[in-house]
Amino acid sequence: MEIILPQLGLFVWSLLIFVVFFLLLRKFAWGPIISGIKEREESISTSLKQAEKARSEMSSLTAQNERLLAEARVERDAMLKEARMQGDKMIADAKAAAATAAAKETEKAKAQIEAEKQAAIAVLKNQSGLWAVEMAEKLVRKELGSKEAKDALAKQLLADLNNN
Amino acid sequence: MYKRFLFLVIAFSLLIGTLFADNTPEKKGDFNPSEAILHHILDSHEWELFSLSDGHGGHTPVALDLPWILYSSRDGLAFYTSTEALNESGLFHASHGKIHALKSGASTDTHAPEAHTDTTHTETAAYAEHHDANIDESVKVYDFSITRTSLQMIIVGIVMLLVFSSVAKSYTKNKGQAPTGAQSMFEPVIIFVRDLAKEYLGNKYEKFLPYLLTLFFFIWFSNLFGLTPLNSNIAGNIAVTCALAFLTLILIVANGTKDFWVHILLPPGVPPGIQQLLTLIELLSNLIIKPVALAIRLFANIAAGHFMVLSLISLIFILGKAGESVVGAMSGAAIGIPFSVAIFCLEMLVAIVQAYIFTLLTTVFISMALESHDDHHHAHEEEHEVSEVNKDLRLSDFGV
Repeated sequence: MEIILPQLGLFVWSLLIFVVFFLLLRKFAWGPIISGIKEREESISTSLKQAEKARSEMSSLTAQNERLLAEARVERDAMLKEARMQGDKMIADAKAAAATAAAKETEKAKAQIEAEKQAAIAVLKNQSGLWAVEMAEKLVRKELGSKEAKDALAKQLLADLNNN
Repeated sequence: MYKRFLFLVIAFSLLIGTLFADNTPEKKGDFNPSEAILHHILDSHEWELFSLSDGHGGHTPVALDLPWILYSSRDGLAFYTSTEALNESGLFHASHGKIHALKSGASTDTHAPEAHTDTTHTETAAYAEHHDANIDESVKVYDFSITRTSLQMIIVGIVMLLVFSSVAKSYTKNKGQAPTGAQSMFEPVIIFVRDLAKEYLGNKYEKFLPYLLTLFFFIWFSNLFGLTPLNSNIAGNIAVTCALAFLTLILIVANGTKDFWVHILLPPGVPPGIQQLLTLIELLSNLIIKPVALAIRLFANIAAGHFMVLSLISLIFILGKAGESVVGAMSGAAIGIPFSVAIFCLEMLVAIVQAYIFTLLTTVFISMALESHDDHHHAHEEEHEVSEVNKDLRLSDFGV
């Protein structure tokens, strides 16, 4: 029975001891501990937030870089294309110029050839006139010989002319 | 494996220690287990650490004498260094922890000093009779001595102060860094209690957290101290648990909001006749039943643990006929020691579980007292949860 009857003295001492140690612990232990934990938790959460912020900044930076890179690539492609086009045009121009030049040369050569031909024809005409006069001169000189000789000569001269 | 073995050795030696501390029979052949166990559970004015055999079958207890502080209307405040000194004074007589005033003038000439050589139990019948005749029942004596339990509470308090002030120091030393040593050992527990307080008390938790932490660690440390072989029993004493529950009651009453009191004294929405009945029930429930249940729960759980371990150890003496039968003692040990090791392990768990339950219920009671209609609508769901948890705990408590 005694075991379940609280004794007054012990009850009072328990109250006193507990309250005194509660006050001491609150001052020397729980205060610093609770504020220490709180401070650390706050610092952890702020650093986490900062890390998150840094990561998002980083990712936006990467995105920007990629965009710049893509832009640069497009620009390069355009430049290359333009260069190629320019090159092609230059080649085409050059080809066209060369063709006209060649055509002109050919024209010139043809004209020269024609002129040479005309000159040659003229020379030939003169020569054949001379030859006809020469033949006529020879025929006339042969008139003084026989008739038969004159015919033979004319035939021979004609044959010569034909041979030429 | 090695650690497990070490643990067993420690547990075993603790049990052996408990055995020597509490169960030493006064004389060969008259071992009374219930007396020995009650002697351990009850408070006393000396701290008996162990007994030495005198070689003739008897035992001399090695005990620390604790001072008596008495108050009576006749003699005012009186102070004696030991039970022996008290009995020699001729003003009071202490026997088996009970204190009586003696009739003044009935005095020292009939008083036999040789009867005091062993103060505990060996008074002669004549001497006891003599004192019974001289007891003055009209003088009420109040005993405010620092008893064994009070001293053990002070020791637990000092240990807590040392441990937690060093933990607090490491918080200032490695500020904002990861915890080290004892700090990392206790921080999870402190945070556990803090989260408990946060959950139930909301933004007012910081006001109560130091008290709840003190309560939790005090009960836990006391219970662990009670498992050492130092013959200690703190929370297994009803006066101690009553004091703790009384403080909870004070917190409820001191922090009760207007709405809380209105809810108790004038329960809304009830017909007049039933209202008075409800008021009575609410008053009883909040101001008496809740604290008393707290006190009894803790006391009964811890005292039951001590009872179990000591009863199992007593088997050695019961079966061994207090040293006459070695075979009986051996079989008692074979049964008692493994079982008490198991109970001991369970008690390690109970030590923290009971600390948790006491702290949790105190928090819940405070949160109920703090409740006001301003935050009633959004606190309503929480309240529901609380009562649910409460119900669960009440049911499971009886199992622990």
